[in-house]
Amino acid sequence: MAASKTTKNSNIIWTFFSSVNLTILLLIILAITSVAGTLIPQQEGATEFAQKLHPGLFRLFRFLQLFDMYHSIWFRILIGLLALNLIVCSLDRFPATWKLFKTSPRPDRSKPFENSPPEWSFTVRSTLKEVSTPLFELIGGQFGKIKSKATDTGLYFYGEKGRYSYFGFYLVHLSVLFIILGGIVGSLFGFEAYVNIPEGDTVNSVRLRSRGAPRPLGFEVRCESFIVDFYENGMPKEYLSDLTFLVDGKESKKWNLKVNHPVTFRGITFYQSSYGEIPGNGAGIRILKQGPEPAEFSMPMKLGERAALPGNDGEFFLAEIRPDFMRLGPAALLVIRPTERAEKRIWIFQDHDSIHERFPEIFERFPRLNPGAFEPYFFSLEQLERKYYTGLQVNKDPGVSLIWIGCFMMVIGFFVAFFQSHRGIYVRALPTKKGIRISVTGRSNKNPVGLEREVQQLNVKLRNLFIP
Amino acid sequence: MVNTVILSPITFVYFISFFFYLLMMVMGKSSLGRIGTYITLGGFVVHTFAIILRWVESYKLGIGHAPLSNLYESLIFFAWTIILLYLIIEWRTKNRSIGAFATPLAFLAMAYGSFSPSINNRIQPLVPALQSNWLLAHVITSFFGYAAFALAFGLSIMYLIKRLDNPEKRNIFLNLIPGSSILDDLTHQMVVIGFLLLTLGIITGAVWAHAAWGSYWTWDPKETWSLITWLVYAALLHARMMRGWRGKRLAILSIVGFCCVLFTYFGVNYLAGLHSYAQ
Repeated sequence: MAASKTTKNSNIIWTFFSSVNLTILLLIILAITSVAGTLIPQQEGATEFAQKLHPGLFRLFRFLQLFDMYHSIWFRILIGLLALNLIVCSLDRFPATWKLFKTSPRPDRSKPFENSPPEWSFTVRSTLKEVSTPLFELIGGQFGKIKSKATDTGLYFYGEKGRYSYFGFYLVHLSVLFIILGGIVGSLFGFEAYVNIPEGDTVNSVRLRSRGAPRPLGFEVRCESFIVDFYENGMPKEYLSDLTFLVDGKESKKWNLKVNHPVTFRGITFYQSSYGEIPGNGAGIRILKQGPEPAEFSMPMKLGERAALPGNDGEFFLAEIRPDFMRLGPAALLVIRPTERAEKRIWIFQDHDSIHERFPEIFERFPRLNPGAFEPYFFSLEQLERKYYTGLQVNKDPGVSLIWIGCFMMVIGFFVAFFQSHRGIYVRALPTKKGIRISVTGRSNKNPVGLEREVQQLNVKLRNLFIP
Repeated sequence: MVNTVILSPITFVYFISFFFYLLMMVMGKSSLGRIGTYITLGGFVVHTFAIILRWVESYKLGIGHAPLSNLYESLIFFAWTIILLYLIIEWRTKNRSIGAFATPLAFLAMAYGSFSPSINNRIQPLVPALQSNWLLAHVITSFFGYAAFALAFGLSIMYLIKRLDNPEKRNIFLNLIPGSSILDDLTHQMVVIGFLLLTLGIITGAVWAHAAWGSYWTWDPKETWSLITWLVYAALLHARMMRGWRGKRLAILSIVGFCCVLFTYFGVNYLAGLHSYAQ
């Protein structure tokens, strides 16, 4: 594809941007600079790395925006230059391609036959008149619209395929522009955020990843429950959040959100991304009564819930729970109100036995930590009630459809550009002394092997038609 | 597991076929090359069987999934794609000398997977993020792309060796290597196929990431390195098609491209990122 000879070519800027050398240079520069961003920790990861740097170096890195390289001004300028280069290159070469697309050769050219091998020709005992219709039908059946010419010296046919293949590369280039545009639209009009919702809780805003600022959703999301299923080796197998979307306090949509299956509500998309555990508001308490009427039982208790001590001795309740109390692990505070004695407050621990091993006299020395301090009872904490929170990624990206259109165009463009070729097939029938000599040949802009195969196949078909 | 017991010895099968191809190059006897092809073909059939067996075995464990989910499985699949592509090229070009450059790549991939102490060859269940139909599309396109680039790399090395050819000194080894223009053409074809598949691999990965994490692109090191690889090969294609580069410069670019492929595949594991399960 030669550059078109228009006045634009005299413009030095146009010449600069229509250069393929510039394209190669930009592609290589983008590749090399991208390497830097994978070696220098970016964004959230950069803080720790930045602290280890020499202050001078740190200032240089920060000046060059190397801690968020892919969003830096200079990286965007590079992408912008590539886009400009691509547009100018395409515009510069398009007229020549258009001409190539538009021009159609005369069917009675003899040049294409000059170097074709002798086996691509054969002679039949017939007349031009007799071969004319069958030739026309066969070639027309192969190529659809064909051009033909009949003169006194012979019959000429021209059929072709894949004229559109000239535009394959333009489609690829256009697809790159779509993808860049999709990225710009996404960063201008979209957002990336996250939110953690404990089971049973409702949120109406999410936290932006870029600035950490809250962003109101305009509706509410409640996590009814969170379910996780594990493999035997402890790896998570599947997890899902039972979500309810509420508008003005009214239930609008219910959804089980799973990994890999996002849900969109009012233009905002929710992704199941992570989960975790937090203490719930209850605990399992075990009570042991010694003495003449021994008793032993376990019961789940909610915070503040009152329960009677066995044998009408009084009542107790769960006053407080801590996931880690005094670095001794999960603990619960029991308040005991006996009918006759004074109120007692005792912290009981889930890891009672191991604490006792580490600090043998701790329970005897501190009555408030002694689970047997209220005789004849002995309290123990079986476990704290846990509940899950679900971690959701919350995004809005209006540019994403442009990205997919771009990707689709790119793949189609590649197929057309690399695997389709413009093939022209010439057939002529010339009267000779022995009969009619029929020859086949072809021209192609690429893939000569494929062309040869096609010519060969047509040759065989023609022979079968005329030579029984 | 039966499949790993079968897969480890296949490493040596490919080494033996490499040895025969090499012997053919040194001694100039085409019968040795034919033996090489038979051994490669035999290895490939058993290799295919073992991959299917691993697939079946995963279902018997109750954690059924395609054997494409960790570094071990990817290496085994990578070697398989290299051999498959090579056998197709051998069949199309009727030239066995390429085998001496393709089989060692498959051998190395198999050896790394089977014998590196840091690689876990057990069948592991899939974490929720990997439970997606995009896994198959993403891994298959990416690895066929890698294999095509691996062959382009082998062909480029052959091209550089062929340049040492001296018509006065008749060297059997160099003589058996196809002519420079054929090598150049084959390299180009492999790069084109690899580029298309890499593009598909990146796109399927982006679609998947978008479904799983909400972003089609996050500049994660693996993503970025695949883009770097893509840019290098894009530069190569522009240089060849628009600037008419041929021969040595192109061979070197193709070698640089394959180094990027290797870094995308292995090097990135030393940098943190989303592909941590591929370690």
